[in-house]
Amino acid sequence: MKATFKTNINCSGCVLSVTPALNELDNIDEWKVDTENPDKVLEVVLDDQNVESVQTAVRQAGFEIERIT
Amino acid sequence: MELVKQHYEVSGMTCASCAVSLESYLSKLNGVRSVNVNYPNHSVSLEYDQNTTSLSLLQSKANEIGYTIHSSQDAEDVSFEQRENLRLRTLRVKLIVATAFSVPVFVMAMFLMGRFPFENYIMLLLSIPVLIYSGSEFFVNAWKRGAKGTANMDTLVALSTGTAFIFSVFTTFFAQNLIDKGVQPHVYFESAVVIITLILTGRFIEERAKSKASGAIRQLMSLVPQTVLVLRNGDEVEIELNEIVTGDLIVVKPGAKIPVDGKVKRGESYVDESAISGEPIPVSKKKGDQVLAGTVNQKGVLRILAREVGDKTVLARIIDLVKQAQSSKPDIQRLVDRISAVFVPVVMALAVITFAVWFFVGPEPRVTNAMVSAITVLIIACPCALGLATPTALMVGLGQGARQGILVRNARGLEVGHTVDTLVLDKTGTITRGFPEVTDVVWSKDADVDFLSNAIAAAERQSEHPVAQAVVNHFSSASAEVEVTGFQSMTGLGLQCNINGKDIHIGNKHLMLKIDAHYPVYLETTANQLQSEAKTVVLVSHDYKVKGMIAVSDEIKPSSFAGIEQLNEMGIEIHILSGDNHTTTKSIASQVGVTHIKAEVLPMDKGNYIRELQSQERIVAMVGDGINDAEALSQADIGIAMGSGTDVAMESADVTLMHSDLGQVSRTLKLSKETMKTIRQNLFWAFIYNVIALPVAAGILYPVSGFLLNPMIAGGAMALSSISVVMNSLRLRSKTQVNENESNI
Repeated sequence: MKATFKTNINCSGCVLSVTPALNELDNIDEWKVDTENPDKVLEVVLDDQNVESVQTAVRQAGFEIERIT
Repeated sequence: MELVKQHYEVSGMTCASCAVSLESYLSKLNGVRSVNVNYPNHSVSLEYDQNTTSLSLLQSKANEIGYTIHSSQDAEDVSFEQRENLRLRTLRVKLIVATAFSVPVFVMAMFLMGRFPFENYIMLLLSIPVLIYSGSEFFVNAWKRGAKGTANMDTLVALSTGTAFIFSVFTTFFAQNLIDKGVQPHVYFESAVVIITLILTGRFIEERAKSKASGAIRQLMSLVPQTVLVLRNGDEVEIELNEIVTGDLIVVKPGAKIPVDGKVKRGESYVDESAISGEPIPVSKKKGDQVLAGTVNQKGVLRILAREVGDKTVLARIIDLVKQAQSSKPDIQRLVDRISAVFVPVVMALAVITFAVWFFVGPEPRVTNAMVSAITVLIIACPCALGLATPTALMVGLGQGARQGILVRNARGLEVGHTVDTLVLDKTGTITRGFPEVTDVVWSKDADVDFLSNAIAAAERQSEHPVAQAVVNHFSSASAEVEVTGFQSMTGLGLQCNINGKDIHIGNKHLMLKIDAHYPVYLETTANQLQSEAKTVVLVSHDYKVKGMIAVSDEIKPSSFAGIEQLNEMGIEIHILSGDNHTTTKSIASQVGVTHIKAEVLPMDKGNYIRELQSQERIVAMVGDGINDAEALSQADIGIAMGSGTDVAMESADVTLMHSDLGQVSRTLKLSKETMKTIRQNLFWAFIYNVIALPVAAGILYPVSGFLLNPMIAGGAMALSSISVVMNSLRLRSKTQVNENESNI
C-alpha cells in the first residue's frame, strides 16, 4: 500500500539522518521525501498495512510526522 | 597511562638486523610498551604511552640511528611504493657508478702496475666516486651503528674499505716518507672499490627480489568497489565507498562486488562468497539473508541494507589480521650478520694486538710498522665475497625453483623452508580441484539415457544454480536439440520443465517428495551411499518417476595423494584446515591419509590455528589458495600459495606453486635445504682466504721470512673467495637438477 505523511524533514541533511531508520523497516519497499513541498511530504510504499511503523521510525529519528493519506 | 597502538611505515632498513636494531633501540625508550618491526614490509607497529612519549619523539629517535618512521597513514600505499622504487633506482645507479670506476682500478692494480706514470693518483681519482657516492650507505650505517656500540655486515665493509682507502691516499701522497723509513708502500684502492661493488651487487639482487613484497593488502582492499550505488531519498545515486553510512540501502548489480556487510532487503541472487569462506559454490541469497563485503553478486539485482561499513566489515578485519600477521612475523637473522657481529670485534681486537706487538717488540721504525700492520689487518678482514654469499645462493635457488614452477617471491621462503616440521593444508582448491565436477551418473534400469542426457543438458543450461555449470560441462557432448518449455526454477529445491510433453524435474530429495515422484528403494540406497562420500546428489525425474541421479563433488587432485605421501615420508606432520563441514573434510582427509583435521573453521580463525601450532615451538608451513587463507599464509613461517588460487593468497605467500601440485611442496622444502647448505658453504669460502691472510697481515711470517701483506695477497684472497662463492652457488644448479628431471616425468 501507499501512504503519504506531512513531516518536518526539511533538507537533504535531514533526509540522510532519517535514511537508516526508514531503510531498517522490514515492511517498507520504497520511500521518498519531497523537500521542495512546503509540507515536506514523505511518500512510502509498504508491503503491508502497518503505517504506524513508519511514524514510529521517523519520530525515533527525531522528526515530526503526520499521516496525510 | 594512555596507550596508543599504531602501525607506521619505516624506510632506511637495508637488512634484517637493521630491523632488530631499530626494535631494540626503540623498545628501550621511556614510555614505549612494545615495538614490532616488520622488515619485509618495512613497517613498525608501536605501542606507547602518550603521556610519557610522543610519535615525533620516537621518530626523531629512530632518525638518530638512520631510520625514518613515516606517520602519514593515508598516502601510505602509493608513496611507500614510490619510495621503494626510488631506493631500487638509486641502488642501480650506485652499482653502475661503482662498476664503471672499479673495473679500470682493478685492471690497473692487478695487471698494469708500473706501466703508467702517476698510476696511484689515477686510481685515487677513480676510487673517489665509488667510496664517496656508491659506498656512502655503508659508512653512514656503520657510523650510526658504531655510535650505539653494535656491528653488522655494513660495519665490516666500512671498516675495511675505509681503512684501505685512507691508507692508500696517504701512501699515494707520502710514499717517499714510508720508503725513507724502510717500509714498502702499498696501495689498496682496488680492494676497497671491488668490495664495495660486489657487496652492492649482492644488495641489488636482494632488493630487487623483495621489492614486491607488500601487495597482499592492496589486493584485499581492491575487493571492495570504490564507488557504490545507493538509494538516497528514493533515487539511485553513485557515491564514494567511504560516504556510505550504516543504514544506507545499496543497490548491487549482477557481477558487482558487495561493498558492505549487511542483509538483503530486496531481490534474489547467488553470491560468490569464496573470498570469505573459501568455498567455491555460490550461495543463494534472498530477503533477510546476510551478505558480506568482498563477496561477488552473480546474476540477480540485490538491495542491501548496510549494517557494517568501512573498517567494521569482516573483510576489513581480515585485512587487519593479515597486516598484523605480516608485522608479527619474526625476522630470520641473517647468517652473514650473525657472523659479522662476532667477526668485527675480533678483527678490531686483532688489529690492536698487532699494533701492540709491533710497537713493543717489533723492529724500527716501530710506530710506522705497527700502524701499517694494524691497518692491513683491517683491510684484509672484509671478504670481497661477503655480500655475494647469500644473494648468489638465493638467486640460483630462486632460478632453480622457477624452472620447476616454484616461484619464490620472498627469499625468506628459501631460508626458512628447510626447518619446517608441520604443514597445514587448506582443503578446497589446495587438496581438491576447487570447483565442483560431476563424479558419478547413475541411471535406473528403465531409463532412456540418451533422451535424459539431452534433456538434462538443455534444462540445466537455463539454470542459474551454481552446480548447473558442472552438470552442463559433463553433458556437453549431449548436443541433440530438445525444446524446453515451461522452465521454472524452484529455490532450494531444483527446477522443473517440460520436454516432449512430459514433465522433467531436476533437484534434491525434497523436490521429489514435493512432486510425489516414484523413487525406487535401490536408487535411494545409491543416493545415500554417494552422500556419505560427501557428494551432492542431484535427482532426475521423468514423468514423476526418478530415473537417475548425478553426483557432484569437488574432487581430490590426483597429484595430492603422492604429494602428501612424500611429505609424510619426510617426517612432516600434516594438518588439514577447512571452512567446509566436518563430514566432507573428514572424508577428504581419510582418502589422502591425514589424521589431524579441523573443519568448519572461520576465515579469521585460520591464522589462530597456525599461531597455536607455532606456540608449540613448531615451524609451520601453510599451503592455501583463497583469500580466507591470506592471514594464515602470512602468519605461517613459510606461506605457500597455489598458482590457481587468488591473487591475495599469492601476494600473502612466500612461495607460489605454478602447477598447483602438492608434490611441489616437498620439492620446495628440499630446494630450501640445498640453498641453505650452499649459503653456509659460501660463507665458509668467503671468509676462509681472508682468515688465512689475517695472520700474514698481522706479520706472523715477518720474523721468519720478512713477509708482510701486499696487494697481491689481498687481490688473491679477493679473487679466490669470489670465485669459490660463485662456483659453489652454481653447483647448486646441478644438485637440484635431479629434482627437475623428476618433475618433468
